[in-house]
Amino acid sequence: MNRLLPLSIVALGILAFATLMLVVVPGMQIRSQSPSPGLLPYTQAELRGREQYVSLGCLYCHSQQPRASDQAPDDQRGWGRASVASDYVYDQPHQLGTMRTGPDLLNVGARLPSQAWHLTHLLQPRAIFDWSIMPAYPFLFEQKPAAEPGDVVVALPPGYAAQNGVFVASQQALDLVTYLQGLDRTYPALPDAVRDDGYAEPDDEGRKP
Amino acid sequence: MKRNRRPDPTPPDESFEPYEEPRTIPIPVLSIAVALALWGGLTLYQNGQAVGVGQQERADDLAAQPALGTDSGAVLFEARCATCHQPNGVGVRNAVPPLMGSEFVAAAPQVMTQILLHGIDGPISVAGRQFNGHMPSFSSVLPDQEIAAIVNYARNRFGAPHSSQLAIDSDFVAEQRSKYPNRGSWFGGEEIAAVLDTTLPSQPPARSGSIESANPAVLKLINDGRGPAWACSSCHGSEGQGGETVPRLAGLPSGYIAKQLKDYVAGDRHNETMTLVASTLTEDEMTGLGNYYSRLRSPSNAAPSLGGDLERGEQLALEGDWSLDVPGCFSCHGPSGFGVAPGFPSLAAQHPAYTAAQLAAWAGGQRDNAPVALMNHIAIALDDDDRRAVADYLATLPPVPATGGPAGDDEDE
Amino acid sequence: MNDMDQERREVEGHEGRDRPRSGRRALRWIFAVGGGLGLFAAGLLVFDFDLIRSWGEPADAPETATAMFEPPSEADIPDGPAGDAIRLGMEIFKNTGTNASDHVGNSLSCANCHLDGGRRADSAPMWAAWVTYPLFRSKNNSMNTMEDRIKGCFTYSMNAQDSISGGPPPAGDDIYRNLQTYMHWLATGAATNVKPAGAGYPALELPEQGYDPARGEDVFQANCAACHGADGQGQQDANGRYTFPPLWGPQSYNWGAGMARVNTAAGFIKANMPLGQPGRLTDQQAWDVAAYLNSHERPKDPRQTGTVEEAAAKDHAGEETYYGKILNGVLLGTGTPRPSAPIGGTPAPAPVQ
Repeated sequence: MNRLLPLSIVALGILAFATLMLVVVPGMQIRSQSPSPGLLPYTQAELRGREQYVSLGCLYCHSQQPRASDQAPDDQRGWGRASVASDYVYDQPHQLGTMRTGPDLLNVGARLPSQAWHLTHLLQPRAIFDWSIMPAYPFLFEQKPAAEPGDVVVALPPGYAAQNGVFVASQQALDLVTYLQGLDRTYPALPDAVRDDGYAEPDDEGRKP
Repeated sequence: MKRNRRPDPTPPDESFEPYEEPRTIPIPVLSIAVALALWGGLTLYQNGQAVGVGQQERADDLAAQPALGTDSGAVLFEARCATCHQPNGVGVRNAVPPLMGSEFVAAAPQVMTQILLHGIDGPISVAGRQFNGHMPSFSSVLPDQEIAAIVNYARNRFGAPHSSQLAIDSDFVAEQRSKYPNRGSWFGGEEIAAVLDTTLPSQPPARSGSIESANPAVLKLINDGRGPAWACSSCHGSEGQGGETVPRLAGLPSGYIAKQLKDYVAGDRHNETMTLVASTLTEDEMTGLGNYYSRLRSPSNAAPSLGGDLERGEQLALEGDWSLDVPGCFSCHGPSGFGVAPGFPSLAAQHPAYTAAQLAAWAGGQRDNAPVALMNHIAIALDDDDRRAVADYLATLPPVPATGGPAGDDEDE
Repeated sequence: MNDMDQERREVEGHEGRDRPRSGRRALRWIFAVGGGLGLFAAGLLVFDFDLIRSWGEPADAPETATAMFEPPSEADIPDGPAGDAIRLGMEIFKNTGTNASDHVGNSLSCANCHLDGGRRADSAPMWAAWVTYPLFRSKNNSMNTMEDRIKGCFTYSMNAQDSISGGPPPAGDDIYRNLQTYMHWLATGAATNVKPAGAGYPALELPEQGYDPARGEDVFQANCAACHGADGQGQQDANGRYTFPPLWGPQSYNWGAGMARVNTAAGFIKANMPLGQPGRLTDQQAWDVAAYLNSHERPKDPRQTGTVEEAAAKDHAGEETYYGKILNGVLLGTGTPRPSAPIGGTPAPAPVQ
């Protein structure tokens, strides 16, 4: 090898530049973001539910980042407006996700506000959508001969209901649902909010910059 | 290694390391590099532009939030009153009372303010003629300032000759708002005359008989659900107000609700959740639910959220766009989108995400249960911007006025 | 290859033998930048400006050749007295029962049959009517001014005989003035005395099978009943305002109206109904359904003084109408029962300027 020193200097220089541009500068940009007005911190129950969300690996199939209408028809799917950095201020670590195997969940609480629905769906997604490929989470529920006072019984259609007794939601299931119900970023984003607007294109009519 | 840096004049030794002198880069490669650099520059420029566009879109979305009372009375009158009372305030014969020459407009300002805040549901006599009054409540869609502006404008134009000296401000409206916080609509002219202004001319008696209380079995379905069917209210809210893609049910025609439920079961309308719920209901229960929600009145909780062009939305709703063969929404769904029972649902105060999603579904063929395919053609003719515009506009309308008819009487809705 | 050889020689020769080295380098860069610009431009043309149409989106649909007249839009109404009259005329046109209350004896408005406030081509637009009057009309066998024509509308389509005043507005009434000002403004820029494309309702050739109210009933129930009601009496909103106009019966146009002719109604229906779906019905269906709705009883023809048979021979000779015909054993044209009180009740207040 000849010219080892200049080679190393150039290589390290490129690495440093890349780190600066891809890590340091965006980091500073993001860190300066305050929560969107309308975004509330998670409650204790929601935080417990969020831990369930993380540990169950929901992230592997569900994103939490609706795209702009220029990128994908997410708004027509009812997934909500394109998210901005300020929407994730309380998410440590964020659950953006990259796989869109299932629907985006950033606004699922606004779209599907029913606790009872979510419990049924978690226990057996195919009870509602016969084509669903989401795994069932029966271990979050307990089968009992009869519900005790305070128990949350899961509504199930015939064919999925317990042969004898009832399914009762565990605290983990309730927490997870509380977290899902709390996922609601339907407030408007501020104009100067940070997101990748690279796809926004001026239309022929209106919406010009 | 160092000594091998230059060719050695001596015969090659075994530690010789082959090397190559730098060769000039071929022109085509250079050309591609130049083109890529230009492309990169252009992309960076376009990206800068796109950020501007994105910010503008978000600014539009924010601006589409409920107005902050900056519009003048004339503009508000045109947008809020003229669809029923007509631009010249003469009303509609045998249907909508005139403002021109109306004793209620000429009366003390709290009369109009209270009517705007709570709406009317009952017979009323205006300028010597009797009307079967059903007016919406504007309290959930207009801020105090705008109500004050409308009252001042209408009184000045149609009512009291000296009303400019009696102009009211938002504080007056706020005070009036706090006076009867939990009441529904005024039960017609008789009650208004008795409570608000005893100088009004004699009024027809309010409709007798109380509204039938809802069937307890239906109420149980709504609040607790049954078997595999989740409670209606768990998604549609305790007041049937809905949210986002969950539609507002309060004020929809009874027959329309029952038909949709039947369509879910029959597979003519698609939504797995609703199909599951509807399949547990008997036909009587569907009718009962329809009756309940058609009678239910709740304040609007909808607001424009899609960044649509509200002016375009208003044009589509009122006039349509005949160049696209699209008639105005109101030409079928009734003035101000209050619906025409049983076939044409109310659109007023519906959530924009739901309206836009349904229009997209009509256009895409996922929904196909309209009579004579009326909605399919309209939704296909509208582009995405138009759909968002009209959905956002409809969310600004006051909810359907109360119509306290006997239970099950569709025609009275 | 030659290039490479040259380059090698250049390298080996340490110094340029043939030409100065800097000149050659500049030339290379000129070639490179030129080529790059060319590539960039080509790429831009293809991808950003869609020069190659077949890539991505299908080619645009061919432009429609017919240049239809475009009336001005509501936003263009001028200020001042002319604008006030135009607005009033527009109000009368869209809300006839209220703004011309004394002379409307049914539940219709002008805009029910002249869609989009008299703007829409093929629904007898007002801009086309304005430029064709005065006109000789066989209906009354005389030259008709626009006022005469509108008077006819009130007499027949608006059934003025059952109104408060019992007849159309008297000659020179402000209603005519305002309506004509509105129509005149709608025709801004239109050629006078030339029948423009889109005027009137399109004429439909009588199909081979003729027309048949029995077939029409099926068409009606499938395509019309959702809006106009299974009984054809239209639908009202909660306040009693007609959202969909009644097609027959006492609240509809009378036997003397143009729309009571099967051919006229068929043309209107074909071009405009169901709302937003022009051309949905076949010609045959349009004729049949027009026959269906015009074979129901409606207010009597105000010209009829003697018997229906006499009036049919005098006023309806040669028309495609059920007036004076016997259908299922019932003579049509006798009129619906007259209302006990004039339609419209007490007079409405004068419109505001």
